[in-house]
Amino acid sequence: KEVKEPIRKKWIWIGLVLIVVGNVPWYFSEGFVEPYILGFPLWAFIIFIFSIILCAYLSWVCLTQWKIV
Amino acid sequence: MGELTFAGMDGIIILTVFAIIMLVIGYYSGRGEKNIHESLSGYYLASGNLGLIALFFTLFATQYSGNTIVGYAPSAYRTGFSWLQSISFMTIIIGVYLLFAPRLYVIAKKRNFITPTDWLQHRFNSKKVTILAIFLMLWGLGNYLLEQLVAIGQAVSGMTGGTIPYQVAVIAFVLVMLAYEWMGGMKAVAFTDVMQGLVLLIGIIFFVIGGVYLAGGNFTEITRYITETEPAKTAVPPMEVNVNWFSMLVLVGLGASIYPHAVQRIYAAKSEKTLRKSFARMAWMPLLTTGLVFFVGIIGLKLFPGLEGNDSEQLVGLMANKIAAINPFFYWIMIIFFGGIVAAIVSTADSVLLSFSSLISNDVYGKFINPGATEHRKVMVGKIIGIIAIFGLLWIAWNPPGTLYEIFVLKFELLVQVFPAFVLGLYWKRLNGKAVFWGMLLGAIIAGMLTFSGYKTFYGIHGGIIGLAFNFIICIGGSYLTSTSVSKNKVLEEDMNAVSIKA
Repeated sequence: KEVKEPIRKKWIWIGLVLIVVGNVPWYFSEGFVEPYILGFPLWAFIIFIFSIILCAYLSWVCLTQWKIV
Repeated sequence: MGELTFAGMDGIIILTVFAIIMLVIGYYSGRGEKNIHESLSGYYLASGNLGLIALFFTLFATQYSGNTIVGYAPSAYRTGFSWLQSISFMTIIIGVYLLFAPRLYVIAKKRNFITPTDWLQHRFNSKKVTILAIFLMLWGLGNYLLEQLVAIGQAVSGMTGGTIPYQVAVIAFVLVMLAYEWMGGMKAVAFTDVMQGLVLLIGIIFFVIGGVYLAGGNFTEITRYITETEPAKTAVPPMEVNVNWFSMLVLVGLGASIYPHAVQRIYAAKSEKTLRKSFARMAWMPLLTTGLVFFVGIIGLKLFPGLEGNDSEQLVGLMANKIAAINPFFYWIMIIFFGGIVAAIVSTADSVLLSFSSLISNDVYGKFINPGATEHRKVMVGKIIGIIAIFGLLWIAWNPPGTLYEIFVLKFELLVQVFPAFVLGLYWKRLNGKAVFWGMLLGAIIAGMLTFSGYKTFYGIHGGIIGLAFNFIICIGGSYLTSTSVSKNKVLEEDMNAVSIKA
């Protein structure tokens, strides 16, 4: 009835958006340095959190969304 | 590596112990396994039978070399918090694997692929595409191997306080590597990777603990100090840095994921379930490795302010000296850690050499020179040419080229040009060999010319990415202008459909 991918395309696209939007500091103005959070400048802390989210997301996709024939 | 205060006899003892462990693992990997030397799959892919622990550690130890520590900590020192990109670009490699590994694994098992170019040959049935891909992959692997050889010599001579000269250090570890690889092939490489990966991981963790202790234990104070003394290193990066950051993510993500030795680990997995579990764990490793190395570089800004250019390359050695002086526990941890760095470099070099050898044996010799040769003969040719190649590279390594980072970028610039053929070929049936060949060739020429003419980046974008953009345009445009290749080949069409799950 339908042909599916081992990993559905929507999970790949979500990962791509996470990378482009969350892992590069495109949208911060110059004032995003203080306050320091856990020792990180504010902009770097946000990027660091997105990095952790990306790691967790990829791990989750592997374990739950990778369908084996 | 500079002068290490803890170097000398203790360092020699640890290195000797590591070398003996590697040789013993190599011996036991090959013992009683006749298949290892009689078949290409046995020698180069451990008969496609790597379990979860071996597969995970061989993926880890191959992807994270000693250079990840020795080279990336100074990068964080020089660029500041912008080097957070190193966590992202190592994570993206796993994301790119997920684009092609599930599909490729199924076809590779069905068709008994040995090298990445087996897939390209199967998909495009074009000698031109296969030869060009082999050339680009051998170029990338050769450059990568050269980088490891330079690093082994610097690490060992630094760790032994010059007691073991640079050239002797390189030859000693190359001989150890050749011996265990000859005895056990991929199986020996994967099992030594377990030891090498563990030592590296434990070493990094203790290195960061020692560094934080020396810097006063308060990371916020370190950042405040950097903002006062070098505000550019904590400031929001300007747009050109962001463009370069994104370009680096694409270059490393696409380039490192199709490294021949990385692809061969996909082939070597015991089952798809094993591969899936290994990748799920690998997704966390950037935080534990490049993440911790990033902290080392930032801590270094407070402990050793004002290091410029090549002086900053000594950062890890300088910090290790200070950490080793804390107490006897840290003294021995630092010796084991530096032994671990050497082991990690060897663990990457052995995988690259094995892959280089397989491309010669299975592709150059087996496809074009003597297709009728027995598998045993092909394996022997690969082993011998691999040894000749490594001594050729050693000759170059006696005069180490610029900084490690320069070489690192150069290999990806060309290797990444194989990506459209490799991955787009899995998804798009219309993609054909002619378009792929011209796209790959033009992409490689543009990337090479930009790099060699000094325009390594153009408005922050790497030359390899500019070449890749042209490559994709030619692949897609050229395929629309010419006829499709898959529908004429029923076997290939069946393969490409079989990897989709029927609902």
